[in-house]
Formats: sequence, structure tokens, C-alpha cells
Amino acid sequence: MKPLLSRKNTTQFKDFATVLPALFFLGLFVYYPVVQVVRISFTNWNLINDNYKYVGLKNWIWLFEGSGTKYLLNSLKVTALYTMGELLVTIVGGMLFALIFNRISKSFSFMRALVFLPKYVAMSSAAVVFIWILNTDNGILNYFISKLGGEKINWLGDKNRALLSILMLTGWRTIGYGMMIYIASMRGISKNYYEAASIDGANSWTQFTKITLPILSPTTLFLFVTTFISAMKVFQSVDVLTSGGPYRSTEVIVYMIYKYAMVDFRMDRASTVAVLFFIILLVITAATMKVSNRSVNYDV
Amino acid sequence: MMYDSSINASNEEALRLNRKALSQKKALKVGQYILAIGVTLFMIFPLYWMLITSVKSQEEVLLSIPTFWPQEWHFENYTNVFKRANFSKYYFNTIIMTAGILLSQVVTGVLAGYGFSKGKFKGKNLLFIVVLGALMIPLQVTFIPLYIMFANWKLTDTFLGLILPEVVSPYYIFMMRQAFLSVDDSYVEAAKIDGMGRLGIITRVLVPMCKSTLITITLVTFTNGWNSYFWPKIIAKNETRRVLTVGLVHLRNTFAGLDTMNNHEIMAGAVMAVLPVILLFFIFQKYMLTGYEKTAMK
Repeated sequence: MKPLLSRKNTTQFKDFATVLPALFFLGLFVYYPVVQVVRISFTNWNLINDNYKYVGLKNWIWLFEGSGTKYLLNSLKVTALYTMGELLVTIVGGMLFALIFNRISKSFSFMRALVFLPKYVAMSSAAVVFIWILNTDNGILNYFISKLGGEKINWLGDKNRALLSILMLTGWRTIGYGMMIYIASMRGISKNYYEAASIDGANSWTQFTKITLPILSPTTLFLFVTTFISAMKVFQSVDVLTSGGPYRSTEVIVYMIYKYAMVDFRMDRASTVAVLFFIILLVITAATMKVSNRSVNYDV
Repeated sequence: MMYDSSINASNEEALRLNRKALSQKKALKVGQYILAIGVTLFMIFPLYWMLITSVKSQEEVLLSIPTFWPQEWHFENYTNVFKRANFSKYYFNTIIMTAGILLSQVVTGVLAGYGFSKGKFKGKNLLFIVVLGALMIPLQVTFIPLYIMFANWKLTDTFLGLILPEVVSPYYIFMMRQAFLSVDDSYVEAAKIDGMGRLGIITRVLVPMCKSTLITITLVTFTNGWNSYFWPKIIAKNETRRVLTVGLVHLRNTFAGLDTMNNHEIMAGAVMAVLPVILLFFIFQKYMLTGYEKTAMK
């Protein structure tokens, strides 16, 4: 009896050993830092002075009722605007592109690949290209605009347009992704629905709103959740295109965290914003999960 | 109204209507083609512009009426990039970093994918939730303590510093687990009877049977590693371990005072930074396109 039991234990342990490296590194580089970031938010740690002490809620008060509040509100506003923009491009634009490109042929599959390609272009390369395209004096976009009789636009230097410029770049990279996801799901819709509908005299618009959209609602939810979370985390395009400027008009929340930590070396303040950002992410994810159980059509 | 008078006539009418419908359908098809081609050209234009600018001369770049095809080809822009910035070093750093991330994510991902699908041990489901939970914790939240930790360990500006936070990907584990679950247990049992150990089962049974998933996810890992920017920018600020993405932006910023100057060389740098991934994209198109679909269909 005893050797048998121990052999079972060894098997168990060997199976457990296969997941151990992953768990170890996730614990060390993901879960432990989460605890640390919360801890730092209650200290007065900056990198310049290595001695730190606990200061209670001081940083939180700074963030919610002190000089940090207006920057926080600004960042939340910018992040929300940006997120809405990216959602619009990925979901509405992706759907439009899916309708345009959903045809089974060699040439269409080649064109789809080209439309999807920007997703794989490194953001830094894409960003320097867009800086050049959006250049006020020599940029190709302003050349086209002036050809059409418009005035040259200061895309990146104008605080009312900088966020839009960033959205052009990120939208260019994500719209093909939305398209691919929608097309993959559209392929799964049975032709019978459309045939039955057209016998009943439904035109293509009715077919689209009454068949395609409802059946695709799980896909839309998937895109919504993934895009929402990745849009909240936007950093790189902002960093390269505008560095959060002009006048903080593109200072998204991650850029705010980054600036406090790596430019001002205020680890305490940066950590406080990071913890708040984490809580927001968790709440939003939980909320979308809850909504998804109610309003999405999984029947088909 | 001619319905009764002659069957012939009504036939002709039907044929005419049919032809009309067909030609309408054809017109629609042509319209879709034109629209699709237009949209594709629009989407591909930034890449075209990057490529074309990268071989123009400085004078041509600054022309008030831009040229859509270079007047002269200046391939020396590419060699100039290597002279102006330490691009070969950036390349080297990027390759080592990406290889390290790739190797460790494949090993940890395949192993854990096996454990969470075919393995039997206490707390398996709970631990799997721990792995998935890590997906909810982005680097943008944890980078401050990570940076402090790595600075204490003297890992700034080192390859280990670049690689370590990325050695495990919960996404990779999840995808491998899903793939291994789809393999019937009888294969694993048969291999066990043949006397294969765990590593044998993984490398000679499971991995070959799930090759396409493995290739797809590994390609995603490669592009993510090659294109990564946020962490390398934080941990490898100095020239010694700077990677391509950070180096390219640095290259642009050193010219930023002159703004439009040297754009041709910056574009040449941008082309070189994206080239490996674009080549992979066209070689492995099948896998790279399905990669995202797979995640959506799950």
C-alpha cells in the first residue's frame, strides 16, 4: 500500500513540476509587484532619496484632494476620449471593412492581408512614419488637404487635434484586426438565415440589422472588451507622437504614471496613480462580464 | 399584363428581368472590387510612403510638391543610418532579447500547457485561475516595483533585465492548454504504455499534433517581443542594450530640432526595424492571420 501511494505522489509532483516554472515567474514578476505597488503608494519613496517612510494616505489625498487632482481628471478625460475613439474605429470601422472585404477569392484574401498588415508593424516605426505624414509643412496629408483647397493643419502641435492624430495612427493599426475578427465570425453564419429572410422579402439592410448584427453580438462584445482594455493601456503612440503634450492634451493615464515614475522619480505618486488605474481596469472588466451575461445573444 | 396573351412574350420578359438582375449583381461586384482596392491602397499608403521616402534624397524629401516615385534612388540612406546611430548594436540587442523571450515562453508555455491539460495534481484548477489572473495585471501597473527590483539586482541595461519580466506568457499557456485538451487522452495513455516519460509525450506526441497552434502562438510571441517598447525603454535606457524600437525613436528625437531634416534616413531606419516582421508575415501569412481569429473564436 505504501509504495503505491508514494508513486501516486511522485506522479502528482512531476505533473505539478511542469507548471512550477510558470507559477514561479508569474508570482515573482506579476503578483509580487502588485503587492509592492500598493505598498509604495503609502510611502514617500522617490528615487533621489532612497530612505523612505510610510506616510499613510498622503499620496491618496494628493491625488484626490490636492494638486494631483486636476492632472488625474485630465488624464481620465483624455483616456476616456481616446478609448471611445479606438472602440469606434475598431468596431464600426472593423464591421464596415468586414462588409467590404468579405468575399471568397484570391485577390480579396490578398487585400485583406494588406489591410491587416499594419497590426504587425512595430508601433515605433509606424509612429515615426505618421509624424512624417502629419508634418505641418512637408507632410503628405497637408499636401492633399491644400490640394483640396484646405488650410495646412498643425496636427501634432495643436491641443485640439493631437489626440485625433494619435487615433489616426492607432486606428490604422487596429481597424484591420476588427475586420479579421468580424469576417471570421461572419463565415460561421449559416446561409439559410439569409435565404429564408430574402424569401420573406427582407432587403439587405433588414438582413444586416436583423440577422448579421444580432448573431455577431458575442464577437462585438469580445472586440469591445479586448479593445477597451488595450485602449486604456495606450502609451507608446502617445510617447512617440506627442509625449503627452501639447499642454497635457494627450496625457493618458499610463503616460501620467510613466512621467511621475521615470521623469520625476516620484515612485510614491506614480504608484498611487498605478493602483487607481488597476482598480479601474478591474471594475470595468467585471462590469463588462456582468453585462455580457445579460445582453448578448449566444443562441445561434 | 402580357401574361395571358403569349407564353413566349412572358418568357422573354423573365429573361430580360433575369439579365437585369444579373447585370445588377455584376455591377455590385465591380463596385465592391473598386471599393476594396481603394480602401486597400489607402491602408497601405503609409507603408508605401515610408519605403519611398527612405530612398529619396534630402532635397527631394523637402520639395513643396511631393514626388510619388523617387527621381533618384539613394540607397546610401540605409548605410547612413548605421553611421549615424548604433543600428547594428540595436539589431543585435533586439535579436538576443527576442530570442530569449521566445525560448523561455515556449518552454514555460508548453510545459505548463501540458500540466494544466493532461497533468493530475491537487489544486490544478485553482492554479490555472492564478495563471489567467495574471492576464488582468498589465506591466503598466507593475513596472514601478519591477524597475526598483531590477535596479537593486543591477539588471538595468542587461539582457536579463530585458527578458525576465517576459519569460512567462499566461496567454501562451492558455492557448497551449486549449490545444493539448483537444488531443484525446488515449494517445497519451498509449505513449505511457510505450514507456515514454512526460518530456517524450510532450515533444513527440502532443507538440507534433498541435503544431499549427504552436507556430501561430510562437509567431505572435515573436512579433510582440520584436516590437516591444514600453519595458525596454524603461530598463535599457543606455546605448549598450538599447533595442531597435527605442533606438529608432531616439534617432528621430536627436534630429527633432531640425524636424523635417533627415526624414529620409529615419524612414530607412523604420523600414529596417519592421522588415523582419513583415517578411515573417508574408511567409507565415496563413498562421498569422488565423492567430487572431483563433483567439476570437474560443
